[in-house]
Amino acid sequence: MPIGQTLPFTAVRWDDVLFVVLAIMLLGSALLVVTMRDIIRCGLAMIASFASLAGIYVLLGNPLLAATQVLVYIGAISILVLFAIMLTQTKNAPTRLVFQTQAWIGAVAAVVIAAIIAGTVLTTTWPSTGAVAWTATSDIATMLFGQYVLPFEVVSVLLTAAVVGGVLLARREPPADKEDRS
Amino acid sequence: MNWSDLGSLAPIIWAVLTAAAVLLVDIAAPGRRAPAIATALMGLAVTAAVVLSLAGHTETAFGGAYVVDGLTAFLDLLFVAIAALTIMFADDYLQPRGLPIAEFAAVLIFAITGAMLVAGSADLLLLFVALELMVLPGYLLAGYARNDPYSTEGAIKYFLLGSFSSAILLFGLAYVWGLTGSTRVDVVAAALAQAAAKGSIAPGLAMGLAFMTAGVAFKMAAVPFHYWTPDAYQGSPTPVTAYLSVGPKIGAFAVALRLFVAALGPLKADWLPIVIVLAALTMTLGNLVAITQDNVKRMLAYSSIAHTGYILVGLAAYAGGQHSGISAILFYGAAYTFMNMGAFAVITALQRRPGVTSQISTFAGLGRRSPWLGALMALFLLSLTGIPPLAGFWAKAYVIVAAIQAGGWLTALAVLAMLNAAAAAFYYLRVVVYMYMRDPAEDAPPLSPGLLFRVGLAVTGIATLVFGLFPAILNAASSAAGVLKG
Repeated sequence: MPIGQTLPFTAVRWDDVLFVVLAIMLLGSALLVVTMRDIIRCGLAMIASFASLAGIYVLLGNPLLAATQVLVYIGAISILVLFAIMLTQTKNAPTRLVFQTQAWIGAVAAVVIAAIIAGTVLTTTWPSTGAVAWTATSDIATMLFGQYVLPFEVVSVLLTAAVVGGVLLARREPPADKEDRS
Repeated sequence: MNWSDLGSLAPIIWAVLTAAAVLLVDIAAPGRRAPAIATALMGLAVTAAVVLSLAGHTETAFGGAYVVDGLTAFLDLLFVAIAALTIMFADDYLQPRGLPIAEFAAVLIFAITGAMLVAGSADLLLLFVALELMVLPGYLLAGYARNDPYSTEGAIKYFLLGSFSSAILLFGLAYVWGLTGSTRVDVVAAALAQAAAKGSIAPGLAMGLAFMTAGVAFKMAAVPFHYWTPDAYQGSPTPVTAYLSVGPKIGAFAVALRLFVAALGPLKADWLPIVIVLAALTMTLGNLVAITQDNVKRMLAYSSIAHTGYILVGLAAYAGGQHSGISAILFYGAAYTFMNMGAFAVITALQRRPGVTSQISTFAGLGRRSPWLGALMALFLLSLTGIPPLAGFWAKAYVIVAAIQAGGWLTALAVLAMLNAAAAAFYYLRVVVYMYMRDPAEDAPPLSPGLLFRVGLAVTGIATLVFGLFPAILNAASSAAGVLKG
């Protein structure tokens, strides 16, 4: 027997329930990233937040974007971040993050801004269709290589520039910097 | 996409090829400085020629995402000039410190490519990506002196706040996209014109406007979004500071022209008050803090904040109904480029020997140590102050006249701009006093900038002298401005 569109005996749609669950997971893990003190756990919480976002992409009807999110963000970026933490941590550096004194002010500002954004979003009439638009992969390809081909190509130039710069910053110079050792 | 699209994009393609060629030349002749510099400058010359060959056309490419018109050509030429001058000045600073020039030139040309794309953007997505291409290499250049802790500190501050502001801008763009359903500038403008005709704008649009204003204000270093500026400018290698003070700043104003004027023009009554407040705060705070600085680089950083304020007066004049505000912005951008880069070039010449600071005491007796450099520095500083008949005077005059013609609150803004210009004379002329009325340090070695450096300095000096006297520049600016509807 197939499951209905809504929760049994109520008018609440399954999609909405799923969205709320994913959103709570997304926000909760994102909050953990910035509040936990152990940097490795922060990295793991970041993976959870990326995964929840991938779920939301699926709900929005874009499986390609969700797959990309999993492959690129969880598969590549998170692993890279964890490796970077592992390789750069030294014995004498603090493994626990030093908390700064402005955290409370920041928290208050964040809550206020979130309230303002929620208020404006709810009071605005958005020109939406009301239905989830399923985006086929071929449609995305057509847009990416049709309407948005120029930004797409510019991103590749941007990445080239970033690679050149990254090599520049990471390259080891022949004369050792003696002053920096002190 | 077809061949004519690529033809419209030819200046951008040439710029990217130039950057690639510089890197290839460096692979072929590793560490050789002259071939890399020659390749970069020749490539930029070809790019400028390609821009000129397209000038006079108005055409859209890539389905309306990119537009070639007078404004694109004017800004493209300005950006190419900025890149060429920076490369001419850079080697005198980088070589004594053992820093490579080829990567510097390549990264810089990538940044300029982004700026040129911003100038021709008719699509919000392209605008954002192009803006990122412009600023990302800037972070790298700010941290170019890797072993200098100040350079690294400035670069990290610039990078963190810059990324943050990019995200805020993107968030604002998302609101506009959500309400208009398009990223094409002309479609957005038409949709917003309809919305504006109904009277009050939707809260979501106001929110988006606030985010976009904050994002762009960060990029142009307007108060209260300027905190990264002094550290990034003081810490960066001096030729990079010269570039950062004009390249990304004029790029940010190009964003303002393509975003606020072209796309959000129908809402100009809504963003006018914000721009007036930003302009007033920016020029006043920039000038007041500049007065207290003893480091000339830091002083010029705050003065560049003040100049952002003057240029914003032009934007406010446009929003107040005076279309000449746009040509005033463009003229100001061109004039400021040459006089400010000239001033930074003189600092570069003084700092050719590693270890020389940019404290004001370094300038003591420069008029006697090196009469030419002293005279040129005085010329640039007088122009930055706004003494007639130099370029800086005309730049301020056009902006202020446009504001007065717009009337209303803008008259008060114009008066504030004049008061600020008078206050600014104090700290600019203080350097001149040091150059001509103090004795040079006993052990001060003679200054001997390279040939290319002298050529660049001559170009900035001549431009500062003749810009105001030749109306051709203003005509070019106003015909470029005519592209944007009133």
